[in-house]
Order: sequence, then C-alpha cells, then structure tokens
Amino acid sequence: MFELESSIRSWTDLLREKGNCTESDLLELEDHLRDEIEDLMSAGLTEEESFLISVKRMGNVNAISNEYSKINSANLWKYLMMDSKIYSKNHHQIILVILFSLIAGTLFKLPEFLGFSFDELFFIKNFSLFILPFVSIFFILKQKIKYKISFIILGIFLISAIIINIYPSYSPYHTVILTGIHLPIFLWLITGIAYTGSKWNENKERMNFIRFTGESFIYGVLITCGLGVLSVFIMFIFSAIGVDLESFVSNYLIIYGMCGVVMITMYLVEAKKSIVENFAPILAKIFSPLFLITMIIFLIIMIFSGKSPFIDRNFLIGFDLMLVLILGLVLYVISARNLHERKNIFDYLNLALIITALIIDIVALTAILDRLQNFGVTPNKVAALGENIVLLVNLVILVWQYVRFLSNKIDFKVLEKYQTSYLTIYAIWLGVVAFVFPLIFRFN
Amino acid sequence: MHISKDLIAASATPLLLAILKEQDSYGYEIIKKVKKLSNNEMVWTEGMLYPVLHRLEDQQLIESYLKISDKGRKRKYYHIKKAGLEELNKQIKQWNIVHAIINDTLNNKQK
Repeated sequence: MFELESSIRSWTDLLREKGNCTESDLLELEDHLRDEIEDLMSAGLTEEESFLISVKRMGNVNAISNEYSKINSANLWKYLMMDSKIYSKNHHQIILVILFSLIAGTLFKLPEFLGFSFDELFFIKNFSLFILPFVSIFFILKQKIKYKISFIILGIFLISAIIINIYPSYSPYHTVILTGIHLPIFLWLITGIAYTGSKWNENKERMNFIRFTGESFIYGVLITCGLGVLSVFIMFIFSAIGVDLESFVSNYLIIYGMCGVVMITMYLVEAKKSIVENFAPILAKIFSPLFLITMIIFLIIMIFSGKSPFIDRNFLIGFDLMLVLILGLVLYVISARNLHERKNIFDYLNLALIITALIIDIVALTAILDRLQNFGVTPNKVAALGENIVLLVNLVILVWQYVRFLSNKIDFKVLEKYQTSYLTIYAIWLGVVAFVFPLIFRFN
Repeated sequence: MHISKDLIAASATPLLLAILKEQDSYGYEIIKKVKKLSNNEMVWTEGMLYPVLHRLEDQQLIESYLKISDKGRKRKYYHIKKAGLEELNKQIKQWNIVHAIINDTLNNKQK
C-alpha cells in the first residue's frame, strides 16, 4: 500500500541526511514537490504515479544536494573534511595544541623552577601574556598569515610585555590591577587579528570573531568544569590509598590544565564548527530571555528598595564587567543570527536586553560622576567612567540601529557593520587603560 | 526548439528579477510561469532555479519570507528589493545592447 505522506517524508529525510540543505531549503523543496504532486494528481494520475514522476522531475537527491552545497558555502568544509589531506592537517593542529599547552604551562612555572620568586602582582598583570601569544601563533600558522602582519601581532605582544613590566607600581596598586583587568581583553582583541587572518578589517570576519569569542567562553567554562571534577577525583582516589596529591594538583595540574583548556577550547571551537553551528543559536535563545528577566527584576528591586548598588566603590568595576557580559551576550545573539532571517521575537528580546543594559549603564554613570565630584579622582573611577561612556555610546548605537532595522529601514547587515567597526574603539580604550593610565596616575 | 543551456543560464537573473518585479512568487510558480511564457520552449529545472534564487538573496537583490499557502503549508516566497530593481534595469540595458548588436549584424549581412 502506497503512503504518500511517509514517502514524501522519507524523500525529505534523504535530502536532510546529505547535509547540504538548511531546514529552510528543505521546506522549500518539499513544498515544491508537493505542488508538483498535486498538479499531476489533478491531471488524473494516482498518488503513487504522481509521487514517482515528481521525484524524477526534481532530479536525483544527490544532484540536488550537490547543487545546494555550492550555495551553502558555510557547509562546504563538510565536503573538504572528506579529503584525507585535511585529516593529516588536523593531526598537525592537535600536536600544536598539546605542544603550546605544555610550553605555556612551563613558562608559568619557569620563574619558580629557576628559583625566582615573584609576587602575585607580577602574575596578575602578566598572566594573559603567558597564553595568548601561543593562541595567536596557533592562528597565524593555521591561517597562514603573511609575515608582515604576523610580526606586527607578535610585536604588539612583545611591546606590551616590555612596557607593563618596566612600569613600577606603588601602593595601593590600583593601576596595576586595572592593567591586569584590561590587558587580557586588549590582547584578546589583538588575538582576533590573528584569528581573522589578514581580513581583520572585514565586517564579516569581525562578526565571526565575536561568535568565536562567545563560543570559546562557553566551551572554556564547560571544559574547566570538567577539569575541576577531574582534579577533585584524582585527589580523592589517591588520598584513599594514602597519597596526598593536593600540592601536585594545585601546583601543576591546575596550571598546565588551564593552559590546556585555553588551547583546546580554541582548537575545538574552530575544528568542530558543525556541533557549534547548531548549538550557537540555541544557546543564544536560551540565555537572552533569562538574562533579560534577571536584569528587569534587578532593576525593579533596585528602584523600589531605593538601594543603589554603586555606593560601594568595589561594585563599580564589577558592574562594568556585568554590563560587558550582557553586551557580550547581545553581540553573540547578533552573531548567531542568520543574516537573511526575517525579524522575529528574538530581535525584540535583544532590543529589550540592550535597553535594560542602557538603563543600568546610565544609573552607573550618574553614580560614578557623583563619586568623582564628592570623593575626588582615582584611577578606578576614571576607568569606570570611561568604560561606561564607551559602553553607553555602543548601546545607544545598537538601540538606534535596532529600531531602524525593526522598522524596516535598514538591513541587518548595516547594524552588524556599525557594531563590528566599534570594536576598534574598545581596543583603543582598553589599550589606554592598560598602558597610559599607569603613567597618568604615577603608577599608584 | 529548445533554448541552449548557456542562454538559459545567462538569462536566468534578469528573467527572475522581472518575474519578481511583477509580484512576489515562489519556486514552483516561477518555473510554471517561465514554461508558460516561453510556450514550453524554456524549461527551468529545480536544480538550477533554487541556487540562483539563493545567490540573488545573498547578493541582497531579493529577500524571502514564509507565508502559509492556501493549502495550509509553509511556503517560501521571494520579494524583489530596491537593489534588485536597479540591477534589473542594468541587466535589461545590457540585453538590449546585445540584442541590438545581433540584429544590426544580421541586417548588414542581408544588405
């Protein structure tokens, strides 16, 4: 007995298995097949005959699938993976990942091995320099970046390292800690140049880097949790047989492990794009409503209880980090968005998230200005002020572009372009805080 | 008389844009329309049409949206954008030039 529905479904499934069509392509093709079948049936053919002829007319599944693979170039790599050369390249990269993790971990331990002792401040300001140069080298090798740009990237790392270590630092060490917070993010953006290859100025590549950053963050947290479980497990089973491994775990496993986590995360997010590609939009859609609810409740309670979270100065920088996190989520949602997607509920959610962030930012700004007036100028406050202004401008631009997009005035592409261009402003500001602030505030 | 593959490929973009200029449409309807307009002499295949549609979408000349059809199915419609109309004008001019050149050459021969 011929079942038309199940036959159509298995035809679609067959196409889906080939993996070159997106769900929207499949919907389109299935609709086409159904139209064809209906026309034939109204001409007097039976269901089975109509189905067979329609399928035949649509061409064989392989041919359609191949045609689609040419358009969906984002999927092209799946074909490339079939190439054995790519596999050996993969091995090559895994070896690099392991090697770089070991070198980075050893660099961390090197001062100790050689008998030098450094205080915590040294590690606070330098920690990103132990690992990010290797991430950059990894991408430089992977993307086969031209010598000139490679030298510039590595040069920036070298100069950063020299500058911040030449700078002295005096109590209460505010500028050093500011450098410690801002330098890693600055260097991460520099790593972005290596990630995007020589096309760092292109809108699309920068968007890709934002997506990559978000995914690295999520993967990094997951793998770190795994590492934590492993550490506890190791200590537990060895203590059961009377071996105390606590110092080994905290001195070696954690340090080498964290270097490994960073390198492996970078590798995984890049190499396993297929998993991530399907994962990113879902993650974005789960977390943006959750964040929105949290922020709205926070705002409501803040207003009604009359408690400003900015009375305590320690919260100032903390709040900026939270705003950065929200902005990061907003950007991640934007980057996970399909350019051709029509506007949907998640665009409105994202806009709402941006507006709440904007409100919080304004509250924070007024609090900082207030503190600056009443308690005088400190590096922390000026840094927080600058950060809030940079964020404010970004959020205002986003709101404005989103409203224009939602009222059909511009393409989503334009919004993306504004946002990716703005990354340069961040890099400049981060660089200023990391390198110029210590000079202005006399290394205090 | 069947039209050659090369000519079909070359004329695909202007013809598609022209069809969409008239009204929004979807793949199956477009194929039927082309067949009718050409008195069955030009038959587009699905394997050719959809890649072209998606390429034009990538180039921001057209955009797509989902609409529920009268049969209750989701259907992907295409709509021409402003850039698409401009591109269509350009392509029509090009066609006219080619067309004129061919005509002139033939006419000269006959003289």
